[in-house]
Amino acid sequence: MTNFKKIIRSAWTNFQRNGYLSFGATGIMALTLILFLGLLSLQFLTSQVVTSIQDKIDVSAYFTVDATEDQILQVKSDLESLPDISNITYTSRDQALADFKARHAQDQLIQDSLSQLDANPLAASLNIKAKDSSQYASIAQFLENTKFRSVIDKIDFYENKGVIERIQNISGGIRNWGLVATFVLAIIAVLVTFNTVRLTIFNQKQEIEIMRLVGASNWHIRGPYLVEGGFYGLFAAAVALGVFYPISYFASGKISSFAPEINLFGYFVHGIAQVFLLVVVLGILLGVVSSFIAIRKHLRI
Amino acid sequence: MIKFQSVKKVYEPHNVVLNNINLEIKPGEFVSLVGLSGAGKSTLLKMLTKEERPTSGEVLVEGVDLADIKDKDIPYLRRKIGTVYQDFKLLEKKTAFENVAFAMEVSDTDPEEIDKNVPQILAVVGLADKVDNFPEQLSGGEKQRLAIARAMIHRPTILLADEPTGNLDLVNSYDVLKLLLKINELGTTVVLASHDTNLVNTIGRRVISMDKGKIVRDQTHHGRYVI
Repeated sequence: MTNFKKIIRSAWTNFQRNGYLSFGATGIMALTLILFLGLLSLQFLTSQVVTSIQDKIDVSAYFTVDATEDQILQVKSDLESLPDISNITYTSRDQALADFKARHAQDQLIQDSLSQLDANPLAASLNIKAKDSSQYASIAQFLENTKFRSVIDKIDFYENKGVIERIQNISGGIRNWGLVATFVLAIIAVLVTFNTVRLTIFNQKQEIEIMRLVGASNWHIRGPYLVEGGFYGLFAAAVALGVFYPISYFASGKISSFAPEINLFGYFVHGIAQVFLLVVVLGILLGVVSSFIAIRKHLRI
Repeated sequence: MIKFQSVKKVYEPHNVVLNNINLEIKPGEFVSLVGLSGAGKSTLLKMLTKEERPTSGEVLVEGVDLADIKDKDIPYLRRKIGTVYQDFKLLEKKTAFENVAFAMEVSDTDPEEIDKNVPQILAVVGLADKVDNFPEQLSGGEKQRLAIARAMIHRPTILLADEPTGNLDLVNSYDVLKLLLKINELGTTVVLASHDTNLVNTIGRRVISMDKGKIVRDQTHHGRYVI
C-alpha cells in the first residue's frame, strides 16, 4: 500500500514538473472527450426529434365531396382488417366544418366567407395511425389500390416521411463525421500524451537506470509512468465534464425554446453517474494506453 | 557460481565484442578482469545482469541459464548481483541514507527493515557519519563507498565492479579496493574489471586478461596485469 502511494506520488510529481506539456496533453485529451460528449448529445437529440415527429406521422385520406359515408366507412373497415393499424379516426364533412369553424372562431373574415357559401366545401377524411412508422408506405399503397380510389381525393403522408428521412440523413452524416473527428482527435491525444510521457522517461533516464541496476520490480519502474498517463486522462475528463455540463445547460435552454419536449440538460443530469463513469474511464484509458506505448518503446527493463 | 560457455556477442553487422568466451568463477573468488578499453570487460559483466544478451552460447549464474530467466524475473537476478560503476550512479537529490534506502524501497522492502539495515551497511563502508550528506558533499572515494553500500544492501552473492576506481585518486582507489577485499572475505564473489595495472598487481589473486573480445590469459594465483 505504501508502495502504491509512492507510485501515485511520483506520478503526480512527474505530472506537475511537466508543466506546459501536461497542460497540452490534458487539453487535447479534454477536447477529444468533449467531442465525444457532443456526439452523445447529437445521438440523443436525433432520437428525440425523430420520435417526436414519428408520433406526429399519420396517413390522411381526404375524400371527394361526393363520396358517401357508406363508402368511407367501407374503406375504414377494410383498413381495420390490416394488421399494422393502431388507430383510425373518421372525420365527417360536418365535423371537419365544425372543427374548422372552431379553429378560426376569432377570424371574422373566415366566418363571414363561410356563411356566404351554400354548401360545405370541406372533405371528409380518415386519419390513420400505424403501429410502426415503416408501415405507412404500405398503408398508402393499400389506399392507392382500393376499389374506392375514385372517391379518394388525396392521400397525404409523403411530406412527413421526407422530413424524417432528411433528419436521419443529416444526423447520420454529422454522426459519421463526428466519429471520424473523435477518432482523429483521439489519435492526436494519444500521440501528444505519448510524447509527454516519453519526455518524462528521457528526463529520468538516470533514475530509471539506477532502479534497474538495484533490481527494482518492473511495476516500480513502469508504474509511475502508467499512472502519469492515467492522470492526464483523469484531468482531461474533469475538464471535459466541467466544460460540457454548462454548455449543455445553455444549449438546452435554446433547444427547448423551439422543441419544449426535448430536455438535453435533463438527459445528462439524469444519467450523470453513467456519463461521469464513461468519460473518466475513457480518459484514463486513453492516457494509460499512450503511456503504455511510450514505455514499450522507450523504457527498457 | 558463474559460468560462460562459448559465449559470443556480435553487434550488427559484424562488430564482434565477445568471441568464444569460456570461463568459470567459483564461489568466494576475487577475480580481476583486465584489458584495454573495448576489450569486452564491461560487456562480459553486463551479461551477468542480463543487460546484454549473448548472440550465442550460454551464461549461467548459480547453475541457472540466464536465457531461461523471464523479463519479469530479471529484478530478482539483479538483487542477487550487486553492481558498482566508475561513475557511481548516485541520485544527486537524495542523501546517502536515501540513496541506499531507495534500492530497498523499489524492491518492496518493509520500511522498518530499511531503517534498520541502511545505517548498518553505511557503517560497514565507513560512512556512518555521512548518513545525511548529499553525494555532492562527499569525496570521490566516499561516493564509491556509498555506491558499494547500495550494491550490498540486498546481500548479493556476487558483486560486479566495473572500473570502480576509474575516477579516484591513488589513496581513494586503495580504500575502495580494501573495501572490496573485505566484502570478498565475508563471502561475496567479487568480479573487478579494471585497467589500473598497479592496483590489480597488489591484489595477488586470479587475473583474467582480455583482448579484442577474447580471453588471452587466465592466471589463477598471484595474477599480474601483463599487456
